[in-house]
Amino acid sequence: MNQTSRPLYWLGLGLIGTIIAAYVLFPIFWLVLASFKTTGELASLPLTFWPKAPTIEAYTALFDANSQSSQLLRWPTLISNSFIVAVSSTILVLIFGTLAGYAFSRLHFPGRDLILGGLLISRMFQGAALLLPTYRLMNALNLQDSLIGLILLYSAFGLPFATWIIASSLREIPFELEESAIMDGASRLQSMVRIVLPLATPALITAAMWHFVGAWSEFAFASILMESADHKTVTIGLASFVELFTIEFNRVGAAATLVALPIMVVFFFGQRYFTRGLLAGAVKG
Amino acid sequence: MNRRSDAWLAYFMIFPVVAAVLAFVLGPTWDVATLSLTQFVMGQERGFGTLANFRALWADPIFPTVVRNTVIWILGGTLFCVVTGLAVGTFLAIDSKMTTALRALILLPWVLPDVVTAMAWKWMLHGQVGVIGDAFTRTGLTEKPISFLGDPNLVMWMLVVVLVWRKMPLVALILCAAIRSVPAEQIEASRMDGANARQRFRHVILPNIAFSLTAVTVISMIWITAEFTLPWVMTGGGPANASQIMSTYIYQQSFTFFNWGVGSAMSVVNLGFLICVVGLYLYVNRRSWAAGGSK
Repeated sequence: MNQTSRPLYWLGLGLIGTIIAAYVLFPIFWLVLASFKTTGELASLPLTFWPKAPTIEAYTALFDANSQSSQLLRWPTLISNSFIVAVSSTILVLIFGTLAGYAFSRLHFPGRDLILGGLLISRMFQGAALLLPTYRLMNALNLQDSLIGLILLYSAFGLPFATWIIASSLREIPFELEESAIMDGASRLQSMVRIVLPLATPALITAAMWHFVGAWSEFAFASILMESADHKTVTIGLASFVELFTIEFNRVGAAATLVALPIMVVFFFGQRYFTRGLLAGAVKG
Repeated sequence: MNRRSDAWLAYFMIFPVVAAVLAFVLGPTWDVATLSLTQFVMGQERGFGTLANFRALWADPIFPTVVRNTVIWILGGTLFCVVTGLAVGTFLAIDSKMTTALRALILLPWVLPDVVTAMAWKWMLHGQVGVIGDAFTRTGLTEKPISFLGDPNLVMWMLVVVLVWRKMPLVALILCAAIRSVPAEQIEASRMDGANARQRFRHVILPNIAFSLTAVTVISMIWITAEFTLPWVMTGGGPANASQIMSTYIYQQSFTFFNWGVGSAMSVVNLGFLICVVGLYLYVNRRSWAAGGSK
């Protein structure tokens, strides 16, 4: 341990750490700062770091019913749509993920490991290749441009991972706990609800957070399915700002900050659950 | 307990999940495969059993550009994510209060919605008032700001830079966890034998994390192949298709040009590539999957 006592070593450590922190934080910081500047300040060189005259004008403009861009996209509607979709699909994922997770970890049945493996692998195919057939499927089911359709789609996409997180946590709860409850006359359902679920709460929180963040952030599938202004989500709203990019970047920055806000809140309050889920299962796809 | 009734109960409990995946992943995969073999005339489906869509895809003048860009995107992106991820992960594995805090902070780019990341970087890379171009001119590196996303020769590499910011943290954390689980006795023994830091990394740490390194490389390839939002929102495939990759091409053909034939053909190419990478992933991971997915 001779080298760790050298002051130069700690200086180097601090320097590299600062560079990494700056690299991670700067783009986010710069975006948030832009949302408090005026359009004039953003478009003139030399660039300023701190806003000369901080203003929340960009935020009020987003919610101003009379301004031109808010007539096309009503941010209160976008925000409530995104919340409805993310929260509803999280609830569905928790209910059905817990049921399946219990079966995969507690019950014996032919094909168990094969089915669980198949579910996990299916996640790896949820990409651009499924955009066109999903659009066709939703049209055939008459679920295009419907929040219910989006909720079902996101739930289907999120279920395999939630099931896996919940199953692997239930596996660690001693079976004897449950057995003794059943011996005492509890039914399988009672033992599941009273004994197993309370112990699995951290896994349920992890699964819920992962799903909420994914559903809130999703753009590709929402953008092809949601056509009417009443049904669009925040990510579609933000992406549609591409057109007025340079002229009103403070408004883009304000919208981006609003879109990131719920995610940041979830992240800061549930950081340890997040890392837990990550190291447990991210490598599973 | 009754084994047979257990099995029925289990099938009942997993039914919703299995049905959802069959309906929304496996079904659509089948649909796009049959669609790619369907003849389209004026946007109408006319008969099944033709390779015309694949021929049209092959004949598209921008197809070679798309292939070239996709290679830069997937191979370049994976390589840079893993190399920088290994460097950062090694640093984060050091025991100190600061690295513990950084391990939490570094996930931030990873949780941020893609659309937000795309907007933030697009603004920083802006040709006139972008902060990166401004920093270059101020330090005298360039005479006037570079149009990072407007230059056909640069744009793909700029997308890779943003991709690394977005995906590298997860690679770093996974490798950091792998390095921290290297047995302490082995490191101590190599120290006693007089190995320096570089030798320790090469001969003790690297062999121990070889498995994680391979797995994370393959999984990064899968993530990067699936990534669509970042390039689409940042450039839309432009300028003049200079940053068109497989995923943005699928979107553009299917939903901007409504050319479902070529769109589905490219989707099938994408799926074929994914199947190869997933096969590689399963092969690399055969040990842990054989254990019933319990690890």
